[in-house]
Amino acid sequence: MDIKKVLNEVTKEIEQSSSQQELQNVKVAYLGKKGIITELLKSLKDLSLEERKSSGSKLNLLRIEVDNLIKNKFNDLKIEEINSKLKNEYLDISFPPPNSIASKAHPISKTFDEVITIFGSMGYSVAEGPDIETDFFNFSALNIPENHPAREMQDTFYIDDKDKEGKPYVLRTHTSPVQIRTLLNQKPPVKIIAPGRTYRCDSDSTHSPMFHQVEGLFINENANMGNLKGTLIEFCKQFFNVQNLKVRFRPSYFPFTEPSAEMDIAYEIVNNKIQLGQGDRWLEILGCGMVNPIVLENCNVDTNIYQGFAFGVGLDRITMLKYGLTDIRSFFSGNLNWIASNGFTIGDF
Amino acid sequence: MKFSYSWLCDHLETDKSASEIGEALTNLGLELESLTDYSEYSKFVVATIKDFRKHPNADRLNICKVDDGTNTYQVICGANNVKKGLKGIFAKDGMYIPGTQINLKKGKIRGEISEGMLLSERELNLSDDHEGIIELLDDFQNGTSAVEALKLNDPIFEIGITPNRGDCLGVRGVARDLSAKGVGKLKPLNFKKITQLEFASPIIWNINNDDNSCEYVVSRYFKNVNNSKSPEWLQKKLISLGLRPINALVDITNYITIDLGRPLHVFDADKIGKKLDMRLANANERMLALDNKEYTLDKNTTVIADGDNALAIAGIIGGEYSGCTDDTKNVFLEVALFNPNSVAQTGRTLGINSDARYRFERGLDKNMVIEGLEYASYLINKICGGLVSKNIEAGKLDNFEYKINYNFDYFNKTIGLELDPQKQIKILKDLKFQISKSNEKECEVLVPSWRNDVKNKIDIVEEIIRIYGYENIKQSVPSASIDEIDKIDNSSTNKKFKSIKKLKKTLISNGISEVITFSFHSIRAQEILKGDKSLKISNAISDDQSYMRNSMIFNHLESVELNFKKGFKNIQLFEIGPIYNSSQSQENILSLLISTEENTNSIYKSEEFNFYSLTELTSILISSLNFDIKQFNISRSTSNTYHPGQSAELFMGKKLIARYGKVHPLIMEEFSKLKNCYAIELFFENLPIDSISRANKINISDSQFQFSEKDFSFLFEKEQNLYEVQRYVKGLDKNLIKNVEFFDLYVAKDLGDDSKSVTFRVTIQSKEKTLEEKDLEQLHKNILEKVSNKFKAKIRS
Repeated sequence: MDIKKVLNEVTKEIEQSSSQQELQNVKVAYLGKKGIITELLKSLKDLSLEERKSSGSKLNLLRIEVDNLIKNKFNDLKIEEINSKLKNEYLDISFPPPNSIASKAHPISKTFDEVITIFGSMGYSVAEGPDIETDFFNFSALNIPENHPAREMQDTFYIDDKDKEGKPYVLRTHTSPVQIRTLLNQKPPVKIIAPGRTYRCDSDSTHSPMFHQVEGLFINENANMGNLKGTLIEFCKQFFNVQNLKVRFRPSYFPFTEPSAEMDIAYEIVNNKIQLGQGDRWLEILGCGMVNPIVLENCNVDTNIYQGFAFGVGLDRITMLKYGLTDIRSFFSGNLNWIASNGFTIGDF
Repeated sequence: MKFSYSWLCDHLETDKSASEIGEALTNLGLELESLTDYSEYSKFVVATIKDFRKHPNADRLNICKVDDGTNTYQVICGANNVKKGLKGIFAKDGMYIPGTQINLKKGKIRGEISEGMLLSERELNLSDDHEGIIELLDDFQNGTSAVEALKLNDPIFEIGITPNRGDCLGVRGVARDLSAKGVGKLKPLNFKKITQLEFASPIIWNINNDDNSCEYVVSRYFKNVNNSKSPEWLQKKLISLGLRPINALVDITNYITIDLGRPLHVFDADKIGKKLDMRLANANERMLALDNKEYTLDKNTTVIADGDNALAIAGIIGGEYSGCTDDTKNVFLEVALFNPNSVAQTGRTLGINSDARYRFERGLDKNMVIEGLEYASYLINKICGGLVSKNIEAGKLDNFEYKINYNFDYFNKTIGLELDPQKQIKILKDLKFQISKSNEKECEVLVPSWRNDVKNKIDIVEEIIRIYGYENIKQSVPSASIDEIDKIDNSSTNKKFKSIKKLKKTLISNGISEVITFSFHSIRAQEILKGDKSLKISNAISDDQSYMRNSMIFNHLESVELNFKKGFKNIQLFEIGPIYNSSQSQENILSLLISTEENTNSIYKSEEFNFYSLTELTSILISSLNFDIKQFNISRSTSNTYHPGQSAELFMGKKLIARYGKVHPLIMEEFSKLKNCYAIELFFENLPIDSISRANKINISDSQFQFSEKDFSFLFEKEQNLYEVQRYVKGLDKNLIKNVEFFDLYVAKDLGDDSKSVTFRVTIQSKEKTLEEKDLEQLHKNILEKVSNKFKAKIRS
């Protein structure tokens, strides 16, 4: 019996197998129940002990080797088969996807979020009030009596329906009525901001009949004008992300604050773009002041004990300044091109 | 409020420049809106074209020899008014030309050297005129500065006056404030009172109304005046502010209005009766005013009248027929104190914005009544001659006297700055407040007659800091206290904003863009969506913005249509904002709109969007707020905004949580270009806010042991609520039934009209062991029996 010959033959047959089935046939022919190698192993029992020993170990080695060869060949065939199948599964990876527009958050949402976060870190919680207001909350309680020229500082939208005092409802011209609502509901100390929609009947590229403001109110025993100044400078530094910020506080007039101030920040034009923080031109950012004691008394707050400040910031305006946007009307046009260009992705929001 | 530098200097002795004064005005709260200052134009000079010839290489250009008094230059000029001897304004090499914003450079134009430029008005920013170069008519010497030649030596200030500062609606008032700031010294008013008041006025006054709209009126009669053009100084003053001189009498009143902030009126005495009434108008009484418009008055309007004829609307505007003209011989001057409220009300009702109204409604200086009368008399007499009558008056002129008790500490507490009482007193005195009864702690402050806005001690603080300077306020940031942080953590509004942010993030990550649309509805939308009548805006800007919206869907359809017109397909957008149920009720909701188109892309196929896709999206949104859509009660929506068969409402108790479905085809009729639109309205404010933000935990049991699944098919009544079935099956064995998933629905004729076949898969798993076959069978049997009994459902095999 020539083991070498068998090995040569079986190796040849394994190599020549081109499919898993053929290989299986080879396996059966050599290692099956009646396979050549199996038969040889069976025939060992007819040999002498000595011969059985030497041939037996050789035959066993042969069997193991053949078994390995077949296993390896099986593996090769499988890879070959999958590879040839893959060849038929090639797609046109360059077929362009349909156009889709990035979904984004509105810039005002981003500003709302930042305003709430920045003032939140200074201890301000958020308060709210309705858009359709009574004359009392929007004007009288804020020390803006009827026929006062200050009423004409703001072009008011009126609603046909009348309130309990018989006066027409108004669309709030500012977020300041939330000051009154909060103070009537809550004993000082009060430290709130109130972002929301506001309305004035005015419409051009810098005025929209609807816009957004955030109101701030801080009432306690000693909140003073220095605190007001510090708070607003800190807010602007954080919001505009400018550490070296040149600002100007100048006297102004609002019936609900006394003394009143307007805050400007310096800017310069660099490469045809507004750059905030330095320079010798000024941009009006917000109005503020110490809450007029008349207003506090209207809210039953004891002015012998309590005092504080309030401020109002145009959110659309500071958003436009921060991101270099020019036309407020595009904010509310529902134009998805504009949102995709100027909005914020989920990661940035 | 507009005035020139020289006019200001009539009242203020100062060595400060226009720009320094401008800065001081802003720091005083009299915000400088513009300063037109041409002093830098002194570098441009008068020059004469001595000679010129045609440019050899350009038809339209001339080569001029220009003499500026020191040198002669060659200038290439394209203007069509070039001529020999023309005197114009010359700019030399290197000078900045304001109108074109470039620096002039010596160079060759078409081969010929040009050493400067003769300027047009536009190049000097004086006007839009670019027809030709400036041609001076007067004979100025060459080399004279352009400032002098063009009379640009008087800078013009324009300042914003806040409603409280009526006292600064006259140049004198502004000068007074500046002097308190240390910018200069206030000069005394320079005129002589007329002492020869020879005769009694033939016209007399009668205040004949009881609404206090006129406190006091005083007049003088001027006999034999000569009214013609005003003297040059007066004309110049008015022209410098862009006003048109009319005649001396009218110009004088206009001048005093601006100079002292004191409106007054002159009647042609021969055109009015002898007895003037200050009375309320009759209903529908008419008057032709000086602005050439006829006004219909009402019973709240105070007029000056002779008998039945209204001659002037008190404090607002004079009448056309009683006005002074060049022919006027006799004049009746009226100086009155009108009630600011009545003037404001009348002015607003009639829509008249006059200089007089502007000043009266802000409140006038009581002590300026007589001063104004004297000043006007002096000017009329000086300019127009004639004789002046004695005063004729009616009503009562009270002395203005207002005192405030003020403690110095109040300033320190309010401003956060220690300012010595002596310094505070000094500032108040500079502002002409009088101080009495002062000690270390407090004093009594007498308010000057022109400051009727100063009423309380806080106003005193404001005056002091205004002069002391806002820039000197020391800034400090009060940091957040633990109490405040606690309040933020517990604030339901803060929580709400957090959940709004979560919703926004979920929506954006699902490919839906955020928009913000107006809170308004068009008339059309209001009709279709039947909003509450109380939502009508009385003074809407346009028909598109006539109501407050009761839904956002219409606005969003408009947005979708706009984007569709821009070429977008499959538009998905949302808004979180207010809708209004009535004038007294609004709520913030999420409203989302999805517009679907047929997909024609054969490679990128996506399944058609339908009601069930919408339900799935609603479920995702609700999950992002830590709720499970299946925990709510579902019913068909009755809203006329939606397709009645493809819309649903979710309730928590009686509170509406969500409404979603296909937009009603009748509404879609308005948007013919769009195909199917689906909307979701999520009323998130109706969800218990604490559950939203504090991770409303949903317990999902986890088990190591093998699970088993079993499908069940039943024939239910057609309107059977399957959320109920699902909840019921789950509740049959809370320990073992892990999941109930509906996956097939079959509705067809062969089942009959009243039934539907529904299949669901129940996942069964124990936490303790692998279940044996007999346990499972028992449970299956239980489900079959209980469901069929409870819902009168037939079991289908």
